[in-house]
Amino acid sequence: MGNGWISMSKRLSETDGFRIVETGPIPKKAVMINGLPDVGLVGLLASSHIITSLGLEEVGSLESELLPPMIVLHGGVPKSPVRLFANSSLIVLISETAIPVSLLRPLANDLVGWAQKNGTQLMLSLGGMAVANRQDIDTPKVFAAISEKRLESRLNGAAEILEEGYIVGAYGLLLRKCTESAIPAIALLTQAYYNHPDPEAAAAALTAVNKILELKVDVSELLKKGEEIRLRSKDMMHRTQEEMLKMNKMHEYDLPPLYG
Amino acid sequence: MPFSQGTGWNVTAACIEPLYNLMVGAAEIVLTIDLPYVDQRQVKLACPADDVLEIHAETTRKITFEDLGIKHRHGEFTCYHARIRTPVPVDETNIKTRFKRGVLEVHVARLK
Repeated sequence: MGNGWISMSKRLSETDGFRIVETGPIPKKAVMINGLPDVGLVGLLASSHIITSLGLEEVGSLESELLPPMIVLHGGVPKSPVRLFANSSLIVLISETAIPVSLLRPLANDLVGWAQKNGTQLMLSLGGMAVANRQDIDTPKVFAAISEKRLESRLNGAAEILEEGYIVGAYGLLLRKCTESAIPAIALLTQAYYNHPDPEAAAAALTAVNKILELKVDVSELLKKGEEIRLRSKDMMHRTQEEMLKMNKMHEYDLPPLYG
Repeated sequence: MPFSQGTGWNVTAACIEPLYNLMVGAAEIVLTIDLPYVDQRQVKLACPADDVLEIHAETTRKITFEDLGIKHRHGEFTCYHARIRTPVPVDETNIKTRFKRGVLEVHVARLK
């Protein structure tokens, strides 16, 4: 009876979460950038651009039985839609599918556990912040939510600190989990259209990443190919919007009631 | 169930259904529509009923699936089309639009 319970709970934990499959060398003490699809697809567009510009190698994937039963073909090869890319000091996570809301918590837990095992020095999550007057903004502003106060100096003036408010979705959970696990974490949220792919916001986010990590990723291609990127990402944005509705993403507009 | 070419790609009509966002305010509704590859002179907006807005826009160039890196599907697109039902009645005589960076913003007063 006792054994039965133990094996049952073990099976449940294996199918409830994510398995991180490493297919290449994973750098230790690296900076990890997360580019999951959300508002304006800012993180996904910016992270994909980092992968291409710096020529990062694919080093792993995230698998879960609870993800939609799909693969993505690249160069005729079947791949997981959630993959890891890296060089000697940087790991980038991207997802080419909207992560179902029910999987966000297991994702945050498993990812932070894996990051801790690899001695990750910084978790940098890239996302969008929906603004109603996006049409009026020529250069989107970047805001940062940080896991600990001392990270303020690490921002190098690239982003304004978010002091109050809600963060709904994977990045809020990641930030919280990183705080618990003592992994320094920054969520960079860039002003963007809510449900239009926003390459200009992605370029602004990347400019901030360049400053924080002292990288030299050229953002001009993102701006030059803006129309093509917007059209190519239309369907992805549509799917992402469906998940954002389920997680009540607009909650981020609400004012937190408490102070002090 | 009929075979479809995915979300919003109508090969028969050579039309793409654009992404749009609709916000309902106290006095007006605000609609934004993402229209890459469109010149603002090609945008046509109509209000065929007091709870429907219709947008049609020719693209500045022919767009094919191949242009977007898809080789196993065939189809070319020359316009965007969307028929959007508004959650509240709107005043067709009180519409303001602006077009910036390929995004059309439409402000329509609510019917009193």
